[in-house]
Amino acid sequence: MEILKNLIFGLNIVLTPINLLYCFFGVLLGTLVGVLPGLGPSATIALLLPMVFHGNPVSSIIMLAGITYGAQYGGSTTSILLNIPGEASSVITCIDGHQMAKQGRAGPALGIAALGSFIAGTIGVIGLMLFAPVLAKFALRFGPPEFFSLAIMSLTLVTYVSRGSIIKSLMMAFLGLAMSLVGMDPITSRLRFTFGVSALMDGFELVYVAMGLFGMSEVLINLDKSMRREILEAEIKNLLPTKQDWKDSAKPIARGTIIGFLFGIIPGFGQAIPTFLSYALEKKFSKKPEKFGKGAIEGVAGPESANNAASSGTFIPLLSLGIPVNPSTAILLGALMILGLQPGPLLIKTRPDLFWGVIASMYIGNVILVILNLPLIGLWVQILKVPYSILYVLIILICQIGAYSINNDVNDVLLVNIFGFFGYLMKRYDFEGAPLIMALVLGRMLESSLRRALMMSDGNPMIFLARPISAIFLVIAIILLISPLLTRKRIVGEPIES
Amino acid sequence: MRSDLKSGIFFLIISLVIIWESIRVELGTFLSPGSGFLSFGIGLVLCGLSIVLILRGLKIRIYQKPISIRVILALISLFIYSLVLEYLGFVVPTFFLVLFLFQLGQRRNWFLTIGISLVVTFLAYFIFGSLLHVYFPKGILGI
Repeated sequence: MEILKNLIFGLNIVLTPINLLYCFFGVLLGTLVGVLPGLGPSATIALLLPMVFHGNPVSSIIMLAGITYGAQYGGSTTSILLNIPGEASSVITCIDGHQMAKQGRAGPALGIAALGSFIAGTIGVIGLMLFAPVLAKFALRFGPPEFFSLAIMSLTLVTYVSRGSIIKSLMMAFLGLAMSLVGMDPITSRLRFTFGVSALMDGFELVYVAMGLFGMSEVLINLDKSMRREILEAEIKNLLPTKQDWKDSAKPIARGTIIGFLFGIIPGFGQAIPTFLSYALEKKFSKKPEKFGKGAIEGVAGPESANNAASSGTFIPLLSLGIPVNPSTAILLGALMILGLQPGPLLIKTRPDLFWGVIASMYIGNVILVILNLPLIGLWVQILKVPYSILYVLIILICQIGAYSINNDVNDVLLVNIFGFFGYLMKRYDFEGAPLIMALVLGRMLESSLRRALMMSDGNPMIFLARPISAIFLVIAIILLISPLLTRKRIVGEPIES
Repeated sequence: MRSDLKSGIFFLIISLVIIWESIRVELGTFLSPGSGFLSFGIGLVLCGLSIVLILRGLKIRIYQKPISIRVILALISLFIYSLVLEYLGFVVPTFFLVLFLFQLGQRRNWFLTIGISLVVTFLAYFIFGSLLHVYFPKGILGI
């Protein structure tokens, strides 16, 4: 009953014209970036971060959240129709989705992707609503040692799961940590790593780093590639799946939802990896595995449900622990901090309007998405026809103006461009941005909990192992760090997803 | 092109700077960790990882395509833009940036791109400046 009361409280917040508008814009933008290859949700949230400074906190977070889950809807459209994944999490949808389209079944493929997404997304939000408060309550027992170990484990997981060489990912994580320490030391008020540059006194602000590393660099990397895109016209009819389609898809949707949701909660996994797992699982469970790759609807229904459930799952650690699990949630966490909110176990208690408002907005957002998605598919295909050579100019311009608008300072524009250049080099030399941005966001918390824990224990570092919860986190982190050494698999670094 | 070698050396320098600065701001002890306590550890690990990367870079040669001229030109134009924005105001530099980037993306008819760039600049000024109240720099030209 308590939950129902809270949900109605949340709905009252969302169902105001201004918040509905923010929610609508969020999911619309999310779908749009989902459709557009080469612009991911984290880049978009980064680019839109400056807006947070001008709007009210709840509305802003509702919109930014809308982008993350909205993107999961849009990604499938281009995978199915054009064989171009809009997002990493819809790469796998290409395999059977595009085959279905080729066989004239684009309609049911799009239909099941949208409806599966809706079902999974909604169940995911229910899970989020039930789990997050429980986890937050549990985390109230956490002291500095637990938070330190939790941050270490999260960073290790992100490093472990990210693509490419684990050494490079570790280096990015450590660089991010070092960057987070720039500026004034909160305990001794001493300046460090500023090298006499006054601009560094407040440290590296997440907004500029994220805009540059994720926003600008993505545009620059795409400049390297061919700007021409082939658009195939496919006739779309019968969007609603048949009875047989539903029969085939019901179990994959259910399994995809569970996999997506569970992996979404774990730092590092994000939305893409659950889709691979779901696809593999469906193929294994199928009575006719040979159908896969030739237009099996299960191969669309499972993964598309998984990525939506995952994006709900990612909000659990964010809202209940203040721990981000992927770049999108890291930037969202940054947005919360910019808004003056204290992410952590107390957030749900101190700002119920934010928590329940965002939860309620996700229910509404999912409904808007399923209504929007199917009728607007024609429009999304039209937008894809806008040449990238025009689109990229607009993205760059919005980024420059956005950076300027935060403080009306041209130096910020320069800063974003410098980070954009750095991000471009990073991508070129196969360094992943995710560990860096996560470390940058978590660094301060990690340092203060390390120092406070050591003071608590009179300088005995064993405190991290003596407390059971902290010990579990650390042991997981250590196993993850050692395992590649033992198997020698990830050291040289083959990408685990392509 | 030994890309790992280059990035390894870059990170090695960064890590040495981190170590040096950590020592300067005081390491402290386990009992009372100082401002440079965590960063010293970070610097040491980063240093170690850089050395591994350098060693790997010496062994493995990976062919890396040179940075495309398009990216270099885009970056140069963006840096020039951020440097002149204050002095020349929003309108003129934005127009030239947009025009240049349009042509860089794909060679098109000049009249057409000048037209589009004017429209884009005006729209940006109108939407952000007038509707969203961003106070753009006016510069010596007053616009």
